[in-house]
Amino acid sequence: MPFLPTPAAAEASLWAIILFPLAGALINGLFGRRIGKGNATLVAIGAMVGSLVIAAIAFYWVLTTRNLRFQGTPWIAVTGADGQSLVHVAWGLLLDRLSGTLLLVITGVGTLIHVYSASYMSHEDDAGYARFFTYLNLFVAAMLTLVLGDSLLLTFVGWEGVGLCSYLLIGFWYTDEQKAFAGRKAFVTNRVGDFGFLLGVFALLALFGTTSYAELANLARVITPEATIASGLFAGWTWQGAITFAMLCLFVGAAGKSAQLPLYIWLPDAMAGPTPVSALIHAATMVTAGVYLVARNSMLFTLAPAAMATVTIVGAATALFAAVIAFTQNDIKKVLAYSTVSQLGFMFIGVGCGAWWAGVLHLVIHAFFKGCLFLGAGSVMHGMGDETDIRKMGGLAGKMPHTHWTFLVATISATGILPLAGFWSKDAILGYSLFSSNPAWHLVGPIAYGIGSLAALGTAFYMTRLYWLTFQGKPRTHAAEHAHESSFAMTVPLMVLAVLAAVGLLLGLPGSSPVSELFAHYVEPVFAPGTERLYAVGHFHAGAHPAWPYFAAWFIAVGGTVIGLLMYGRGWLKLPAALAGALPRTYRLMVDKFRVDELYEAAIIGPLKSLARGLWRVVDVFLIDGLMVNGVARLVGFFGSVGRLAQDGDIQRYAGFMALAAAAILATVLGVGGL
Amino acid sequence: MNLLTVVTFVPLAGALFAVLLPRDEPGQHRALALAVSLITLGLSLFLWFGFDAAAGAAEFQFEEQRAWMPSLGIGYHVGLDGVALLLVMLTTLLVPVVVLSTWKAVEDRVKEFMIAILVLETAMIGTFAALDLVLFYVFWELMLIPMYLLIGIWGSQNRLYATVKFFVYTFAASVLMLLAILFVSFNDGGTFDYVQARAALNVTTAQGRWLFLAFALAFAVKVPMFPLHTWLPDAHTEAPTAGSVILAGVLLKMGTFGFFRYAMPLFPEAALYFRPHLATLATVGIVYGALMCFVQTDMKRLVAYSSVSHLGFVMLGLMAISAEGLTGSVYQMLNHGVSTGGLFLLVGMLYERRHTRLLSEYGGVAKQMPWLATAFVVVTLSSIGLPGTNGFVGEFLILSGTFLSRLPNGQVLTVVASTGVILGAVYMLVLVEKVFYGPIRKEENRHLPDLSLREGLVIAPVIVFIVVMGLMPAPFLAPAKPAVDRLVQRFQQAEARLGLPSRVGTVPTAVAARPPLPPGGAY
Repeated sequence: MPFLPTPAAAEASLWAIILFPLAGALINGLFGRRIGKGNATLVAIGAMVGSLVIAAIAFYWVLTTRNLRFQGTPWIAVTGADGQSLVHVAWGLLLDRLSGTLLLVITGVGTLIHVYSASYMSHEDDAGYARFFTYLNLFVAAMLTLVLGDSLLLTFVGWEGVGLCSYLLIGFWYTDEQKAFAGRKAFVTNRVGDFGFLLGVFALLALFGTTSYAELANLARVITPEATIASGLFAGWTWQGAITFAMLCLFVGAAGKSAQLPLYIWLPDAMAGPTPVSALIHAATMVTAGVYLVARNSMLFTLAPAAMATVTIVGAATALFAAVIAFTQNDIKKVLAYSTVSQLGFMFIGVGCGAWWAGVLHLVIHAFFKGCLFLGAGSVMHGMGDETDIRKMGGLAGKMPHTHWTFLVATISATGILPLAGFWSKDAILGYSLFSSNPAWHLVGPIAYGIGSLAALGTAFYMTRLYWLTFQGKPRTHAAEHAHESSFAMTVPLMVLAVLAAVGLLLGLPGSSPVSELFAHYVEPVFAPGTERLYAVGHFHAGAHPAWPYFAAWFIAVGGTVIGLLMYGRGWLKLPAALAGALPRTYRLMVDKFRVDELYEAAIIGPLKSLARGLWRVVDVFLIDGLMVNGVARLVGFFGSVGRLAQDGDIQRYAGFMALAAAAILATVLGVGGL
Repeated sequence: MNLLTVVTFVPLAGALFAVLLPRDEPGQHRALALAVSLITLGLSLFLWFGFDAAAGAAEFQFEEQRAWMPSLGIGYHVGLDGVALLLVMLTTLLVPVVVLSTWKAVEDRVKEFMIAILVLETAMIGTFAALDLVLFYVFWELMLIPMYLLIGIWGSQNRLYATVKFFVYTFAASVLMLLAILFVSFNDGGTFDYVQARAALNVTTAQGRWLFLAFALAFAVKVPMFPLHTWLPDAHTEAPTAGSVILAGVLLKMGTFGFFRYAMPLFPEAALYFRPHLATLATVGIVYGALMCFVQTDMKRLVAYSSVSHLGFVMLGLMAISAEGLTGSVYQMLNHGVSTGGLFLLVGMLYERRHTRLLSEYGGVAKQMPWLATAFVVVTLSSIGLPGTNGFVGEFLILSGTFLSRLPNGQVLTVVASTGVILGAVYMLVLVEKVFYGPIRKEENRHLPDLSLREGLVIAPVIVFIVVMGLMPAPFLAPAKPAVDRLVQRFQQAEARLGLPSRVGTVPTAVAARPPLPPGGAY
């Protein structure tokens, strides 16, 4: 197209995609409180639109011609005296079809959520409003760095950057102690993951001497997994073992960021932040970074079957565990939060079993429907005076028609009922997982399929419950009776996302027609080398998959929905209370989210605090200061006080000492001389 | 005249001039101290731009050598390598900031206060510049006196205990170093000149080890390394803001600089012998210091213990003896000066408003002081090593440098030390939370003024350096390279002499050759 800049020009302006929101954050951060809400909005949304336009142009070139790479200037580079340079990181960016996909999701959904926020946050004072958009723009800049960075370390810059923005936004209303605490909890839990990320980076540096994705993939291509490493730290290990170690470390990071077992605990609490934040950061973009990390390193993961098996099984376990917790939650955002944890688990089953495209597609579609659900929840809260308890809602369908139909579309998409988008991506994941045969653990795929199907049943149930209690039935409170629809700035983004959540199905149709598995073909260049290896080692087998898993999945989704409808809509209305009454302890345990937070408090945080207090009392105060430092001082003081007795001015004693001394000298001289 | 000598003694000349000014006009003394420290900063910029960091350039630049007490082999010999240059720049940058920060905080005996600060600046620069062991020792001990006065006269309630503890702790260890210096001169042909001594020193293995220990003890107290750290929390807590900033910013670096410049290159064989123990102590210090922060109720004490943790990282990187680890350590010395210096400045500003350091007295003040809160959060992020700030570059280099080093158990130590990164986030964010977040509980906190223009000027350079050093570390890494390379080579020579297997430097990677990338950006 003649009016577009050339690929080279797009390549040169890749950084502008990141710098636009960064500049927006700087302007609003420094001057936002003085320029008024209107101008602050203009700056923030303008920055997003600028970023989106450049991103779209760059994406066009990736789609039609080639990958874009920006060779940056060095950032951290240290060369030893022998000329070896292991730590050598540049500000380079890489836009291929994988990062391009996420780029569009981030800038696209990001822009919609900025528009939504302009209305949602309008009750804040000028300073708070500007602060919100500063953080939100900063988040987008960090998230884009995470995705566009051409090396693990640059991804890590974005990785911790989004963690920081998440911390700041969860604790946005910081005068509430609980919210401030939730922010810190998120940051610290993520730091535990980042600890793993860093160790993975160190291991890869020791193996390959680089963190650049392109170089890593290039080196991984020529490795024989069974060969023994001859030199360096991992001498004596097999390549497979060493890479498995590195990938497991990286996965610890991914599990922290993407809220997987056992590090998921921060995400439900993160709902303390404003709802647009929950939609953008804690559903659509940041929490999927772990999935991106695994997909981005697909070449390395294929060399480490045990690591892939771990990813699969952790994903499956998380999917089911979080879905079960979601059954009994009554806070609209908490239900959606556990749903997010569960859906992220599905994505990890996908990337873990080698169906990278399906995992990433689910990431994209989840961004649409979960973004829509969270924004819808925000709209509901707006209309209900910040009420979040679904037991106090009901019958909102008539009061908030736009919010209602978008929420319904997104619910069906999330549930995975044909023909909406969630069905295709989720069931592609489960289908691939069933027919995979991981060499490290042949059954992990089928096991994940079984657990995942149960989780899908659960998804259908809790989504139906959530939808019905919120929108259908009779209003159960005064606030629900007088709820009002939100402004267009809030409902239009909802509609866009709902439409995307519906038409996203076009990306994942199964079969072998020209329009089927469009997304799979589109991202194939990124994943082809890894997929080839999976076929070579017997992880996948050539040939068409039978269609029955798709039917099974459809029945599961419908079944879960029907159970939900019966229990909360009509028929078995007394069943939920009866169940809770029959199994009071189980019910309590589920409502308390299996008391995992309490377990961590008792097993890790409490002991650590006691240890710190004990060490301080015993080592610092008693041993070092008490016994050693002040002890020596006292000892010196004691000798001083003894010695002082000899010099206290008592003439008689002086005379006595002189006499004694004279006698002693005399005795010595005479005695010795006499002998 | 030699530029380095000028930079060293301009503050002292300023202090002498201040003696002549009347004591009852404090404004003059403040202005004079600020002007002198700014002149020193300006002059030191010529050092910065004049330094040649090329591999073939002289090891010590801006050298000056004069006879002082020739009969005893003592000379006036000064010069800078890249590491000393960076630390001199840190010093000349921090002192004007500190002077500006005391504008209102110090009302009492301003004349003496400013004189003490200027004398201290000369002593600090001199310590980094000295290339004669006696000259080094003179400057080293000269630092003690003004610092002793700063804490003892302008400190808070428990200052006498803190000063005596500070003085005795550091002085006792330094005396052993003096004995070691004398012993060195008996065994290197009778000279105290560092460069000659380093080349000519001839001692037995056992003697070398004792000498190393004597030097190491003096430096380890200054760092401070666990378990010699207990003077630091007291000294920091009782010192006035200016004292804390200089103590954290520069004085602690004297210890790590001492290891880098004296203890390690003078006695490489002994350093290799003790290295695993020192690395272990450093790692213990990282975790121990962080744990201590959990239980502190006093802001300054908390920051002081965080220094123990941060300096543990520096020591670990030094003991890794790999290019990445050593470079990271040098970088982290600067980082710690900037960010912990910044933390003490900010805590000082809070103290000036509320006259308490107790965490429980604060809470929710971000609303009243948004700019101060923002500055505090930025400095906190630097302290916990968030990528994009200077702290990350240092921590990453140290940890990767230790992991990739040949230090025995280096990988285990890296894993343990990395938990310090998690713990650091915990205690620093708790600090931020307790001071700035939550509801306002104390009536006094309702009407606190935000940063004044002067305070903004004080903290602005800190913020600028946090960001610049985080995004563009290259100009600050470059001067360190020749010195780091020389130290690594020195250890390699020592190993060759002893016939030991190579335990220094960076490990080779597992892949031997790197195939070229496919063209066209394909991936």
